[in-house]
Amino acid sequence: MGFKDSTMIMTDLGSTWREVWVNRAFTARDAIGAGGLSMRSDDGRLDRTLAEVTYTRLAQRWNLPHAQANVWLFAGIGTVSGNDFDGRRTMIAPGVQIDYETTDVYLAANARLYRAHGLNHDFASARAGWALQRADYESTQPWIVIEARRMRELSESIEITPMLRLINRRYFLELGVNDRAEARANMMFVF
Amino acid sequence: MTTSIRGPRTVCRLALTIAALSCSCGVWAAETTKFTVNGMVCAFCAQGIEKRLTALPATQALYVDLEQKIVAVEAKPGQSLDMTRVNAEITDAGYSISKTETVSQSVEQIRAELKKAKK
Repeated sequence: MGFKDSTMIMTDLGSTWREVWVNRAFTARDAIGAGGLSMRSDDGRLDRTLAEVTYTRLAQRWNLPHAQANVWLFAGIGTVSGNDFDGRRTMIAPGVQIDYETTDVYLAANARLYRAHGLNHDFASARAGWALQRADYESTQPWIVIEARRMRELSESIEITPMLRLINRRYFLELGVNDRAEARANMMFVF
Repeated sequence: MTTSIRGPRTVCRLALTIAALSCSCGVWAAETTKFTVNGMVCAFCAQGIEKRLTALPATQALYVDLEQKIVAVEAKPGQSLDMTRVNAEITDAGYSISKTETVSQSVEQIRAELKKAKK
């Protein structure tokens, strides 16, 4: 989520994971949103499509002289469809993220449950990033970020993706190629 | 009392005198408030501060320095910043203020000064 009264649009696009969502921060700590997520197993046999509404809560923030740390809570509910069952099932998706950032280093861990009747696609990811140059608000800042992530019952391996992150004020872009040589692009825009 | 102006040289002296008086009295001097903001480490997040403070009616110019954690807000000539509102805007953007200082410099001067210090 962005700052109070802001709207954020985010996309995460790869070969097995495609996500788009938008949320609106109605306080400095709360946002509601809606999104869609399409997931596919590594072997391409299973696919899932989730449409959900989400609530994001900044549970705790530490504003330090040269760093910031956060604890975020997520609550999502929606319906999921798949190619191995009929109709749609109600899915709940609570989650938590912890992150720590300075102008040079970024660390984050994220866990989210994706549960529906007969389905368990719990997700976890960890990220580490390093700034490639001195922070300057008025120019584009390049970072190198490495992410490891896994989703239960859809992937038996941990996907590793090194990415180039570019930040220019309200624009945020990550481009990378994972360990299976598949391209990935993440974008965020806040206004 | 009568005043006589004798030619371009006198006009020039008069203009210089007014300019000198203006500077010494601070009549037209820029007034900028520098906030040291804890937690301001990311441009994507800090642009919330820029957006909210730029929208304030008394804001003339603004500068954000991520390394020094400084947000400098210059007031429009003849106006003053509503400090309660500015503090609230920075807090609503998700940050906390550790130090506030008002200086007789423009945002451009502060930008040049901070950029020079980095070199």
